[in-house]
Amino acid sequence: MFADGAWLPIALGLYFAAALSAVIAVWRGRSVSTAMTLLAIALACHTVAIALRWVRLGHGPYVDLFEVLSSNVWSLHLAVLIAALAFPRIRASLAAILPLLQILVIWLLTVPERDTLAPVTYDTVWLPIHVTLGKIFLGCTVVAVGLSIVILIRRHRPEAFSVLPRCRALDELAYRFVLIAFIFETLMLIAGAIWAQDAWGRYWAWDPLETWAFITWLAVAGYLHQRAVWKPSPVLNAILVVGIFTLAFSTFFGTPFISTAPHKGAI
Amino acid sequence: MMKTLHGGLRRLASLRLTLACLALAALIALAGDVGGWPTGTLIAVPFVILFVNLAAAIATHGALRTQAGLFGFHLALACLALLAAIDRLSGLSGHVEVTQGTAFDPTLVEARIGPLHPGSLERVRFVQGRFEIDYAPRLKRRETRSTVYVPDDTGNWHPVIVGDDTPLVVGDYRFYTSFNKGFAPLLSYIAADGTIHSGAVHLPSYPLNFFKQGNVWTIPGTGREVKLWLHVPEPVFVEDAPWRFRIPDDAVLVIMDGAQRYELRPGDTVPLGGGRLRYEELRTWMGYTIDYSPMIPWMLAAAATAALSLAWHAIGKLRRSDWDRATGAEERAHVR
Repeated sequence: MFADGAWLPIALGLYFAAALSAVIAVWRGRSVSTAMTLLAIALACHTVAIALRWVRLGHGPYVDLFEVLSSNVWSLHLAVLIAALAFPRIRASLAAILPLLQILVIWLLTVPERDTLAPVTYDTVWLPIHVTLGKIFLGCTVVAVGLSIVILIRRHRPEAFSVLPRCRALDELAYRFVLIAFIFETLMLIAGAIWAQDAWGRYWAWDPLETWAFITWLAVAGYLHQRAVWKPSPVLNAILVVGIFTLAFSTFFGTPFISTAPHKGAI
Repeated sequence: MMKTLHGGLRRLASLRLTLACLALAALIALAGDVGGWPTGTLIAVPFVILFVNLAAAIATHGALRTQAGLFGFHLALACLALLAAIDRLSGLSGHVEVTQGTAFDPTLVEARIGPLHPGSLERVRFVQGRFEIDYAPRLKRRETRSTVYVPDDTGNWHPVIVGDDTPLVVGDYRFYTSFNKGFAPLLSYIAADGTIHSGAVHLPSYPLNFFKQGNVWTIPGTGREVKLWLHVPEPVFVEDAPWRFRIPDDAVLVIMDGAQRYELRPGDTVPLGGGRLRYEELRTWMGYTIDYSPMIPWMLAAAATAALSLAWHAIGKLRRSDWDRATGAEERAHVR
């Protein structure tokens, strides 16, 4: 059997191939079934890589940038595959979202892979619960982003993605994914607060990650409310969804690795 | 009269006010992160307004009350906003250092204290015992086991083990060990008039500041400052192997009184400032974080209720209509 480090490049190559296949298929007006197959194989390889590393190190992919990035590349691709399987009519949106996810794949290739040691405070059941809820939140958001990108592309090229439903329907589906994301983000914050209470003796301390996670929550709540207040156009909603994802992405991928917050552990 | 009251309530229930509250909360959080504002206290302002806004919305929007999921979510969120505001206004979040062999002194606590805090920290009593800290290679801190002695109702003292995730709970205060800990030379100063002053000087956290184990100490009754530092020939920590925090065997306390340098070992005495300084022994100190958040169980219940109610609402909404047949009218019916 290959070591965990050997499975990852195979998975990353397959993710890239899936993205390329989806773009070409939609460009030629064909089905994205090949892209979905490649995506499923990539996910299987990546699952093996993460599982082997987990068994070898004795902890999940929570500690450093490589682990967090790798697990999110896995979970975000899994989310778009599940969405494509559950909603066959939006499968062509894979051509919009998969290329975006390849930015993460390329980033992952640049991050050194080192063995890590989980801080003592990570030894709690609330950490995997917190992380899983966060991944579902981000996964639902990324599906909404894929639909929003289609809406934004159609603004300039109305004939694009002609196999997909009209913009208002895509906007409604994106809204539903954001609504589900909001629930999981709320649960993620609750689980995180319980973990923080266990680990550091306070459920909330306004450290940079907590502050930006709270701002992200407020942004999603604001998005949901503004739809009821102003009934905005699908284009404006799409811009807001992309904005929310950018904010969430910066929060979860940027803040933990540029701050000295307790989320990193301490000597 | 009733009409005026209802009109006022409707204005308070405005969705625009909800959005303004969310924006204000985000601004305060941002100001705390970027500008160092006291977010923990200031955030109570939008939370209180949000509570009023949501309570008014529940009272005036019939659609909100007829949809159980939305009703539960907004009610729970209103309660959460109020509870969070109360918690922050009455809470305490601080830290303290306690020398091994001495009692916890509430006057040494540095804390952010809410204006409604009941202020009963004076009732907390415990004495610091020894502690153990295990380290993994590359200075990764692992388990901390700090023994403190706590009195019971009969006056007997019992040992309690405190850790990073195992608090000492006294009243509603919770004490947790932190990464902050170090060495503390115990000094006795016999002044010229025979008065004896004893105390410990806390050196910077170890091993974080292993390269600057020094501090300034004021000679009692003189106001004169001398520099002191701990010279540790062999570091206690091991860079590439597991090790346990301990007092160094061969440490020397160096005192600099102007140009005069003294090197002391436990039991040594030197003339200083007209009196005599005796270096008794080297002890340790442990840093604790202190938290007082009386609303936690209620906040957890409200937050869980809010999340589950929203989930209930979302499931109902997803079942009621197809996403690709949704219209503006349908949206209006489902969202207040």
